[in-house]
This record gives sequence, C-alpha cells and structure tokens, in this order.
Amino acid sequence: MRRTIVILAALGYFGASLLLVAGFGYLWHRTDPAPEQPIAFPHTVHAGNLRMPCTFCHVFAELSRHAGAPPVQKCMDCHRAIATDREEIRKLTRHYEEKRPIEWKRVYAVPDFIYFSHKRHLRAGLECSTCHGDVAGMKRVRRVSNLVMGWCVSCHRARKAPLDCPTCHK
Amino acid sequence: MNRRSFLRFLGWISGSTVMTACGKRDSRPKLTSYLLPPEEGIVPGEARYLPTTCTECPAGCGGLAKLREGRPVKLEGIPGHPVSDGGLCVRGQSSLYRLYHPERLRSPMVRNGGKHQRMTWEKAFSLAAEALKESRERGHRNFFLSGRTTGTLSALIDTFCGRLGILRLPEFEVYAHSAVKEANGLLFGKRDVPHYRIEEADFLLTVGADILETHVTPVAYTRKISRAKSRGDFLWFHVEPHFSLTGANADRRFAVAPGGERYLLAFLLREVVEKRASKSRPPREFMDVFPPSPAEEVSRSAGIPVEALREIGDRLVAAKRPLVIVGGVSAAHQGGLEAAVSAALMQWATGAIPERVDFARSENYRSVGTFRDVEELSARMGRGEAGVVFLLRTNPVFSLPQRFAFRENLKKAKLSVGMGDFLDETLREADLVLPLSHSLESWGDAEPRRGVVSLLQPMLPPLHDTLSDGDALLGLLRKASGEGPAGSYKNHLFEAWGKRLGDSGRSKLLEQGYVEATPPGKAIPPNWKKAASVLKDTGPAGEVAKPVLVLASSLRTFDGRSRSLPLLSEIPDPLTTITYGPWISVTPDMAKRSGLEDGDEVTIASSDWKVVLPVKVQPYLPEGVFVVHRDALESPPVRMQARTGEPVEYIEGVSFAKTGRQAALPILSGSFSQQGRGIIPDPAHLDESRRHKRWTLYPEHEHKDYRWGMAIDLDLCNGCSACVAACHVENNVPAAGKADHLKGREMSWLRIEPFYEKGEVEFLPMLCQHCDNAPCETVCPVFAAYHNPEGLNVQVYARCVGTRYCSNNCPYKVRRFNWRQHGWPEPQRLMLNPDVNAREVGVMEKCTFCIQRIRAAKDKAKDESRKVRDGEFTTACAQSCPTGALVFGNLLDAESRVSRLARSGRAYRVFESIGTEPSIHYLRGKHPGRKT
Repeated sequence: MRRTIVILAALGYFGASLLLVAGFGYLWHRTDPAPEQPIAFPHTVHAGNLRMPCTFCHVFAELSRHAGAPPVQKCMDCHRAIATDREEIRKLTRHYEEKRPIEWKRVYAVPDFIYFSHKRHLRAGLECSTCHGDVAGMKRVRRVSNLVMGWCVSCHRARKAPLDCPTCHK
Repeated sequence: MNRRSFLRFLGWISGSTVMTACGKRDSRPKLTSYLLPPEEGIVPGEARYLPTTCTECPAGCGGLAKLREGRPVKLEGIPGHPVSDGGLCVRGQSSLYRLYHPERLRSPMVRNGGKHQRMTWEKAFSLAAEALKESRERGHRNFFLSGRTTGTLSALIDTFCGRLGILRLPEFEVYAHSAVKEANGLLFGKRDVPHYRIEEADFLLTVGADILETHVTPVAYTRKISRAKSRGDFLWFHVEPHFSLTGANADRRFAVAPGGERYLLAFLLREVVEKRASKSRPPREFMDVFPPSPAEEVSRSAGIPVEALREIGDRLVAAKRPLVIVGGVSAAHQGGLEAAVSAALMQWATGAIPERVDFARSENYRSVGTFRDVEELSARMGRGEAGVVFLLRTNPVFSLPQRFAFRENLKKAKLSVGMGDFLDETLREADLVLPLSHSLESWGDAEPRRGVVSLLQPMLPPLHDTLSDGDALLGLLRKASGEGPAGSYKNHLFEAWGKRLGDSGRSKLLEQGYVEATPPGKAIPPNWKKAASVLKDTGPAGEVAKPVLVLASSLRTFDGRSRSLPLLSEIPDPLTTITYGPWISVTPDMAKRSGLEDGDEVTIASSDWKVVLPVKVQPYLPEGVFVVHRDALESPPVRMQARTGEPVEYIEGVSFAKTGRQAALPILSGSFSQQGRGIIPDPAHLDESRRHKRWTLYPEHEHKDYRWGMAIDLDLCNGCSACVAACHVENNVPAAGKADHLKGREMSWLRIEPFYEKGEVEFLPMLCQHCDNAPCETVCPVFAAYHNPEGLNVQVYARCVGTRYCSNNCPYKVRRFNWRQHGWPEPQRLMLNPDVNAREVGVMEKCTFCIQRIRAAKDKAKDESRKVRDGEFTTACAQSCPTGALVFGNLLDAESRVSRLARSGRAYRVFESIGTEPSIHYLRGKHPGRKT
C-alpha cells in the first residue's frame, strides 16, 4: 500500500513538472496570429479592390532579403488627397507631420539566427501568397503559416531547393 | 543516500529543470516603417561601403566602412589607397570599439571642485570665450597644443589661433621622429621624414625602426615588403638593441648594444663610401674629419661581432639598390642624431635619393614638435604665464616624464580646455572638457603624406552630444570672436577642397575616398660642413650603463593611445601571446640567474622612479636589456636628447629585485616550441615518399561547384594580428576577458602561434582547418558539427548541446566554447554584424570561413546567373591582411589563386600524417628565388 503511494507520488510529481514545462513552453511563445495594428490598414482595399501589386508598397521584396513596410511618405503620396477625413488616415497624417515612424506589429518573424531572403524566394518564382496566404482578402492580416523549420524544409524538399544547414542557419 | 536526501535532490533537480524552461518573454517584434524612402541606391538589408580614413594612429590609412542599416559594423582597407593599399592593421580594425565604447565622453563637462559636471555646448563655448577675453585683458598668453593634425584641420587651427591671439605650439607626438627630421634638416634642408620606397630596394637594412609595428606608416611598409619579397631578389637585415616583431620577421636579425648604433652606422658609411663603386663621393674635407675606426673597435662599442659587421657592410656594398632606415629606439638615444646623419649620408652615397628615399612625398611630420617644445610649455604654465590652454587629442600627462610636471603646471593655467573622446589622464586634469566625435561621425580630411588627401565622412549621426574637431573649433571661434567662417565645418571643407583640388578633384575625393598628386622627386646634395660637425667625434664615448630598460612601442596600443579599446587587450601580443598586460620582458639568462619565471613580480627602479611588473621570459632578448611597452608606464622618467629634443627611450642603469609575489599573467600559448610535431615541418616532411596514401573508412566527399579552401604563406605572414581583429569584428566574437583567459577560455577563432626555434621565430595563423575527415564531426552526438557539400566544416549552433566532445577531439584546438553568456554593453551592441548570429551560452563555435560572405557572394552570383568568380570576395581575415599572406578561394577551380598555391611545391598541411585532409594549405619556406 505504502509502496503504491510512494510510486504514485513520484509519478505525480514528475507528471506535474512535465505539465508545467509544457505549459510554460506553450504559453510563453504563443503569439496572436492576427495582431491589432497601430493603424487599421486594409489590405482588402489596396491589394483587393484596387489590385495594387504587393511590391508596389513592399518594394524591397524583390531587391533584398527584407520586404519591409513602405515609408510613410509613400502612403502620403496618395493620402494627402484621398480619404483625408477618415480617422485612420488622420492617424497616418499625424505620424507624417510629427515625423514619427509607424511601429507595425510583426505578423511574420523569423528568429535572429535565421537567414531568410525574400529576393531569393521571389526570383525562384514563388508567389507572395504561397507563404503569406490570400492577404488581399484579409481585413486584418493573419499569419497563415507557422514558420517552423519543418514547414520550410518540406517546401525546400519538394522544390529541390538547397537543404544544407547554413543555407538558412547563420 | 537516505530517502530524505534523495527527495531533496529530486526537488532541486526537477525544480531547476522547470526554471530553465522559463526564458525572457519576447515581446512581439516591431516592423518600423521609414518616414521617407531611403536614398537612391540604399537597400535595407544590403551592406553599403563608404570610404573613410583610419584615425587610430597618425599613419592615415584608407578605410572602407561597411554599413548595415545606417551604422558601421566593420572597417576594411581601401584597395589601391596610396598609403595602405587595402590593408588595415590590428588597431585600425579595433577602431570601431572606440566609436561604440561605453565610456566615451557624452557631453561637455566643466570641473566643479574635484568633479566634472555636464553642461551644454553653448555654455561651454561661452565659458571658454569669457576666459579668452579675461586672459587678453590681463595680458596672459594662451596656448594651443594638439596631437598630429594634417590637412584642412591643421589650417583651421591656424585660423583659430590667429584670430583669437592664441600661440599654436608645435604638435606633440611621442613618436615625433625628431632625430631623423633634424638630420635631414641639417643635411638636405628638409626637416622631414621621407617616404621610403621599400618595394624598389633589393637590400633593406633597418636599424631600430619598427616598421611592422608603429614606425610612421606600418601598414604601408608591410605591403611594400610583401611586394619586394614576391619579386624574389629581396633581402632584409634588421639591427636593434632589444627584440621586436620587426626583428623577428627580418631575414637576419642582429643585436646591437643600446646606444651603439652610431658606431655601427658610421662604420657602414665608411664601408659604403670607400668600397662601393659610385659617382657620389663625399669631399675630402669631410672624410678628413671623419676618422676611420677599425672593425674590432666598432665591434666593441656597438656590441656586434666583427663577422656580422662585415656581413652587413658587404651586403650594403654589393647590393644594387640598397635602402637604410633608422628610427624607433635606435634614433631615440643620446647618439640618435649621429646615427640618423650617418644613415642619411648612406642614402645619398648609395644613390637612394630620390628613387627610394623620396622627400617630395615626405610623410607629413613637419608640424610635429619635440619634447623640448612641451617642456617649454610646461615651464611657462608653471611660471603662471598661461591664460587659456587648449589640448586637442593629445595626452601629455600620460606620456611625458614626471620631471616636466605637466600635470601640476596645467593646473596653474587660468583655464585648461581638453578636447578628446575619453576621460584620459590629461582630460581628467582639464577644467573644461569638450567631447569630440569619432572620425566615423565627422567630416574631415587628412594628408598623411604630402600630396595624398584622404577623406573622412560621417557614417552615422553622433551617438552622443559631441561635435567633430572642426565644428568644435568653428563654434568656439564664432563665440569668442563674434565672427568666423560661416556655416558648418562641412561647408568649410568643401570650399577648401574646391579651392585645392577643383570640382573634379573634389568629386573624385568624395567618391573614391582619396586623391593623390605625384610631385616629382629630385636629388639633393648634402651639406657636408654640417655633416662633418655632427660626425667629427664618433669615437668611442660614454657607455650606456647596463642593465637598460628599453621602452618599446606597442603593436597593440601604439604609444598607449589605443589601450582603452577592449579588443586590443583581448588579442594576444604576437611575440609573447600575453593578452591582458602589462609585463616586462627579461632575458632567459637573467631569469635563470635570478630564479625568475613567467608571472613573477619584480621591482624595476632607477634613482627616483620605480615600477612593479610581472616578468615574461623573452627568448633572443640580448643580455643586459629589459623591455617594457610604453603603454605600461605612466610618465616614464625618460631623458631628452639635447640637440634634437627626441626622448631617450632607454632608462639606464636600472636596478631590479624580486618582490616574491606572483601576478596572474594570461599567456595564451601552450608552448613556444613545436615539440617536434612538425607544425611548420622541415623540408624533410615534404618528401613525396612520406606522402603515402592513407586508408580511410569514411566515404569520399563529393563537391559539386565549390570547395572552399585557403592558402597561408608563412614567408609573408609577420604575426601582425590584423586578421585576428578582423575576425573578432566580422563574426561577433566576444572579448572573454582576463579571468577567462587565465582559465584558458579564450574565444578568438583565429590565433597567431609564435614558435621560437633555431634562433628564429615563425608565426603560424591557426584557425579551423575545415578538414575533409574532420575528427570533430564523428564525435558529435547531435550532428551539430557536420561536413557540407562545399567542403566547409559547419557548426549548427541550434543543434549544439555543448558536450564539448568536438573540441576534445580537434587536433588543431580551434574550437571555442561559450562558458557563459557574453555581454555586449550598450552601445557596443550596435556594432554586432547582423549577418552573423551572436552565440549563446553552452554552444561551441569556431571559424566558419566567413560563411555569411560566401552566402552573399553566391546570392550575387545567382542574381547574375553565374558561378562565384575567383577573387570576387574573400574572408575577413584575408581581406585585412596587410601582407597578402592569406588567400581564400575555390579549390575545385584549377585556375583559382588558392588552387595554384595549394599545388605549389611549398605547400603542406598541418599534421598531414594523421589523415584529417585539411582545406588549409600552408606555404613554407622563402619565396622562390629569394636569397638567404
């Protein structure tokens, strides 16, 4: 009887520890796949209704590893005249006038130790939507792929892209 | 173990396991948009290179700053720059640590009681302007003392001093080369340090001049020597009273008694004049006052064997294009002027002027004064004559002897204004401290050699509330005089460049970073009367009392000015492999007699001065000589040559005594001998018969497009350690610190191993050999170390669990373990290379062959649908190497430079017999055709 209690207590103890570690791991690194942005920018209007190509704003996607967010001036080129009375556009104008860059919340981020180049992927013939989903149909941009290593590797395998570790790990 | 303690352990272990699962909760990363689009040609994420000029020492080498996202992360040399031609030394590479140093001055400060208080620039300018006005009213003299300045800044200082009634003193440098300048002034009417064209010479004799360490322009000399060596017929002898890196690299090295150089050079002059077939002959009157001395007598006075005297003399006589350079410690003694005059006459007599000794392009040292000038300044301040004293980027309190009482006398000035970037010994004494920007934050120019204008331009806005040298002077000038050149220093510079170089010259300067005019050189006859008056009494004179303490310049800190940069303490001194000093070098005999070992503390004393330092036993150091680097001593009690004002860099007749204590001295080399392992093998190791085919159980690697490899020419490598600094900065290798070094936990991926054997020192750069059959790969339980298809031995940090088996199994000992999380204090974090991951605690790391550069080169090649071309890119170490000893490239390409070198008869690989098949090929022995 006493023996069973000891075994149960020990198992329970380790079980609880495991649960705790798993819980921490899960909660700690969980991020909202569709965060609220400082300005509610509608991709549905720009990329959807107006059919602007992605690289019209994300100009560096084809030139550099970073796609980047467009400079505020680029937004203002149009919004000096268009829809200036809307609250979100007023926010934008304030950023521009006060010379305050907009701090968007990242939807997609790879860790510091990963080298990822948008340019290479676009020049290999991939569409933006392959990884980012149908952004033109998203009111608030939502992460559609989890960016874990297995996800990267499965695609690299399928397309016969390099699988050598330092291709991505820096 | 009982039940209770078992449970206690269980609790501890599981508890700590849970704790380690908790990390810092990452807040969601931000994506910040630019306000305005970046300028044309700037692409975020892509590196940009802008030309600049290195200001870490007065040499003025050209630098190329690599910028990422608007901040410099690496400095390299500009290929083709007239001074440095692509090389950058260990100090230059470390200059980024000055820019991002946490202890840099952050705002103007004024002394209030014993402490400095922060203030605004406006108030600081007003304070100085008022003091100037008051000083004028009371009839005090104002003084301006700076370190060596050239170009537009020097002209601006003249304007500044002229308008405000300030006396500008000759500039202060410890290494002012006063004796050489004085000699050239007497003989040729040119008080200059000429430009030496070593690459044109077939025989070089250097006497005391540490041309590979600090002498005038070491990177330039290093490149010239490499060029001369590759030509084939070059031979280099070096004579010195101590033992230096330069001496270690010469083809032959001779020791001379301290102060004996003048006898040696007078003897050689006579040999050259009498035996060399030449049209240039001195007049009879000169030869009459210059009595011949028998070789035996010279040998006694100079402390050189007669055979050596004859050998040097014969080579000088026989050489077609000989060149003699005197300087460093051999000009910095009481007979320095005689030594310099003899050498200068030899240049003339061997026809070296103007082909190899060019006065038209002399190194710009004319505005630099002597110790006598600062002694006089100190005396005038002591007499209370001084009103306002300006000190710009100079540290006389540290460098001058105590006897000058500079520190005490500076306090007697009504106001002392110190301008610099750190609170050094001099600025600590200043009443008003004005912080200056780093050269990477400022506009400016330099003219290190006459005719060479080199650009300084801001790469980033100042990190702190600092002004550039020019803007600080202009601001103060405007405040104090109510007028002055309008606009910023940038406008002033652009105007000055336009006037001097024209519009096209200015555009060229801004684009390539330098412009060069080529003034023609011409032969100048010496003034024989003055020569005779100096040389008439070279007979044996007063001996230097032994033992002598030689104050040597330091490869790592110059005259001490770079000692606050943490990387330079982290990188070992190449001769001793000591990292965190200071130390005193003692001869092996002396150590044996006194029972001294490395790290024993000794007291070194002269009549009114003493210092306690740990000992390092230095092989090949001549008897009766101690050596200490100048950076180790504050206010050393040096005397001064009466005629030239050059300091005497010897302290004579010192006494020394053991203190009985041991100091912790980090000496990184495990052994200064190869222990018979043939790391640099005798030619016997190279026999074909010994290169038998070895059996291996592992499958052969298949290399498709590239197989990266390196060739290292040991004849060219001189141990200067520039590669080590470049590697640190490029790869975010942290500075481990003294405590870690004492435990043998260094972090550098690349080390220079000095081997003292058969009377010579050979330097071997040791880094990961990227073996084909790598012993580290087979023992890694998690496949963190593996071989990639391009022949790289890759370490995947994300896989590494820190067993350290790989390091234990590595025969080359090049793997480095992160025993702790290394910190990057703010704002040093800004200099991290974003292309390289900063490793975490518990992870093994090592040389990657700069895989980030390979990746970038392949990326570029892929954009252009081609393969990477040979020489298109190189590793950080190879880029910085001033000698060109390191060559990196693709071994699969039979025509690449590295393949050709790897196939040459001089190539070998370290520990070939153990069958690791490394990718690094060392080239042993002298260049084909070189004399021995």
